[in-house]
Amino acid sequence: MAALAGLLSGCATMEPKKPPTMVPTDHDTVIYLEKYEFKRPPEGWALMRNVEGGDFELGFMRIEKGDFPTQTTFMYDEQPYGSSQDLGKRADYYCTKFLFNSGIEAKVTKRERVTAMGREALVLEMGGENPVQKEKAKSTIYLIKKGNRIVSFVCTQWRPLTGTFSEEPFGHFEAFVKSFKFLKKDFYEQLEEEMTKAGL
Amino acid sequence: MEAHNRDLYLYKRLNARVLGVSMDDPNTNKHFAKSLDLQFPLISNVLPWMGMKYGAFSHTPPFRPDGTPSWFGRRTVVIDKNSIVRYIKDGSPDNQEILMFLLKLEKEFRGKK
Repeated sequence: MAALAGLLSGCATMEPKKPPTMVPTDHDTVIYLEKYEFKRPPEGWALMRNVEGGDFELGFMRIEKGDFPTQTTFMYDEQPYGSSQDLGKRADYYCTKFLFNSGIEAKVTKRERVTAMGREALVLEMGGENPVQKEKAKSTIYLIKKGNRIVSFVCTQWRPLTGTFSEEPFGHFEAFVKSFKFLKKDFYEQLEEEMTKAGL
Repeated sequence: MEAHNRDLYLYKRLNARVLGVSMDDPNTNKHFAKSLDLQFPLISNVLPWMGMKYGAFSHTPPFRPDGTPSWFGRRTVVIDKNSIVRYIKDGSPDNQEILMFLLKLEKEFRGKK
């Protein structure tokens, strides 16, 4: 038994050390997997991480006090709904798909051209209710031009129909977006560079 | 489908074209394409010789939990300029892998010219 335990602990030490997911900087931000830098939300927000391909790159979630579903999530998504490279057209399409599967009858309450992260962007505010599930949701979405593509930052807050929305989580989301920096070229930027080099 | 639609400008630069094939009838495909704003053709192959030819057809069909047969799986096939199948992958397409493969293929093709 001792030999077996020794063997197992020996194996454990052989594993390569994984680098930490988030490394704090000296200016109140973190560096995420050496790819992004941003201001993370305070304690109590759980990191949501894309591990094997999915709808978003990374995000945070907090279950808040109150009846289900009292929670807020926000995330960075490299592949928002739609395909148009035009911000306005992409937003038109996005609004037909976002929250659709939840049964929320979402309405756009704000749509404004802005500059976010120094880039051309469009901010949307959407919200609505699902009277059958007795739920409501409120979202802020940034669609941002990044080279030839459009990326997004999305914050959605869920409440039971009788619940009250809270502004505080949206404040953390705004800080996340405002501080967000791309530290590396993404796959598509690298690919386009390589295509240009190849004369394509 | 939406991911292919998003990457069309890259496929174009790589001298590749996308063609979707489905067993659904043309009218269903038309509505499906419209709902996703697809900018590439979607072929209706009800019979379905294309699925059989490219191996997406299963002769021993699996059945869905409700008992209905599921004869076809999703398969991505890349055919080169000489009509040779160069890439096959089942399941959800890995667009980044496909784009890298197309880049390699285009470089190879240009090297031969």
